[in-house]
Amino acid sequence: MSGARILLEHVNRAHGAAQILHDVSFGVEPGELVALTGPSGSGKTTLLQLIGSLDTPTSGSIYVDDIPVHTLKHPAKFRRDVVGFVFQLHHLLPSLTVQENVELTMVAARVSRRERHARAQELLDEVGLGGRSRALPSDLSGGERQRVAVARALAGRPRLILADEPTGSLDSVASARIWALLAGLRERHGTTILVASHDPSLLEQSDRGIAIADGRVSVPANSGQLDREEVA
Amino acid sequence: MTTVIQTLAALRRRPMRTFLTALGTALGIATIVALLAVAGGAQQSAGKFLNLGTSDLGLFQKDAADPTTSVLPLSMVPQLRRTPGIAAATPLVLLVEQIKKSPAAIVFGANPGTFVTDRYVFTHGHMFRDPHQAVIGSDLAASLHVGIGGTLTVGRRHFQVTGVYHIGVAEQDEGAVIPLGAAQAISSKIDEATTIAVSLSSTTSRRAAVRTLGHRFPGLLVIGDGVPALRAGVNAELLSNIALVLAVIALLIGGIGVMNTMLMAVIERRSEFALLSAVGWSGPQIAARVIVEGVATTILGAAIGLLLGVVGAHLLVSVLGAQEFVTPDVTAWDLGRALLVGVLLGVLGGLYPAWRAARVSPAQVLAQR
Repeated sequence: MSGARILLEHVNRAHGAAQILHDVSFGVEPGELVALTGPSGSGKTTLLQLIGSLDTPTSGSIYVDDIPVHTLKHPAKFRRDVVGFVFQLHHLLPSLTVQENVELTMVAARVSRRERHARAQELLDEVGLGGRSRALPSDLSGGERQRVAVARALAGRPRLILADEPTGSLDSVASARIWALLAGLRERHGTTILVASHDPSLLEQSDRGIAIADGRVSVPANSGQLDREEVA
Repeated sequence: MTTVIQTLAALRRRPMRTFLTALGTALGIATIVALLAVAGGAQQSAGKFLNLGTSDLGLFQKDAADPTTSVLPLSMVPQLRRTPGIAAATPLVLLVEQIKKSPAAIVFGANPGTFVTDRYVFTHGHMFRDPHQAVIGSDLAASLHVGIGGTLTVGRRHFQVTGVYHIGVAEQDEGAVIPLGAAQAISSKIDEATTIAVSLSSTTSRRAAVRTLGHRFPGLLVIGDGVPALRAGVNAELLSNIALVLAVIALLIGGIGVMNTMLMAVIERRSEFALLSAVGWSGPQIAARVIVEGVATTILGAAIGLLLGVVGAHLLVSVLGAQEFVTPDVTAWDLGRALLVGVLLGVLGGLYPAWRAARVSPAQVLAQR
């Protein structure tokens, strides 16, 4: 499995009179681990939402590999097959067990029960929670819940991981473990990872950073020269 | 299948919320079951009113306020006997509130030796033979402590009891039969009857006879079973309609209750549905989850409601003081209908919440801090 290539061209997003993103253009190569940095309210989350098809741009185009994300007719399928999300809050469903939470994406993809169980167990082992598969989220610590969320994000074998402040609510030890998980994931599977974070230590572990302020990309990435023809 | 299993597991892990949601449905279903049972009991009671056989019909005055207020001229009897397909016709007078110690008892005025009186099975004694004699139902005999040779007072007339019968029909066993002429005198209905019972010939179908009689005697209401018997009285029809309206209202309340509860659950769990959407669940998949949850909850509610309804039907009759007239009749069909209604409530009540859940914007999951 290889990572996805991302290309944004002149992307704008407005909510009423408020302009959230201004003419954002940049690219990310397959297998890159890119840190998206900037202050609160700068537009990091909106950018991740647009790339992950949770939202649509007011204008401009977004491509993930050859998929035109900005005009998707079935965004749920794209999110299921291409993207894995890790949020600041774990967003585990409290009434489901750890294993059932990890299986959610596979349930949507109608993966067989046996395969789901095996895959979920494999992922929980990978994040160090193999023995807690039957536990409920309320039985876990904050760091453990976030590790389950990482396992859930990986369940669909995504080519792209979008992580929005994944360590924002964790202590330093738990944060380090999450970073190690994401870095290891990139090493083993070549998954493209785009992480929005305030954490300065992330920049040290990432291939490069993209700074965003007031909805504008102020430090374009080196690979920003990518053009649409190249992607296609 | 996985959605169903996961949904059921999730409901099990939220027992209080599941129970309270189910309770709302249960109350709606219980109301429906109780009303159906009481209405069914009333219809059955009315059907047994005349102890009609399977090949018999009862004729009443159309639009009478109540079966006992029907008035038919005796001159109709020979006309009826000449009608093709009718083997026999005999007049009956119905009296109520004429036995002081048991005002709810129905006294029938009938001629002995007719097809109606020949059906009585006597546990003691025999059918009356003169105008001052009467026969009495086993339940009435027990409550009045009257036996063979005793005296039964109807209105101001005294009758010697010559027989005690038991036929297993409450309205009959709690009543009595006196000679037709005596009943006419008590009710001042000389040359009149309350109803005329007719027996059909073996070659005549009930439907054909009802059609023929309705055509020949347009002022008559022809009844053949419990439902039309209930309709013989305007008051009874009114009660039937009220029961129907109450059942529909209960249905609406139940449906709105389910919808409201489901909607609240959806609004409360917006982030859950947004998360499902974010990890790749399609709108129809999310909607299906909500509907499965609604149906599962309402089936549970219906099961509770069925039990409450059966108990409630007896309580309702008791509170209304109508035990002597109505025995709640809970049939498997009633229970099946209530269960079906429960499932429909779950589906219909869950449709709008499911639509709302399927439209939750997943962006709010990322935005939530």
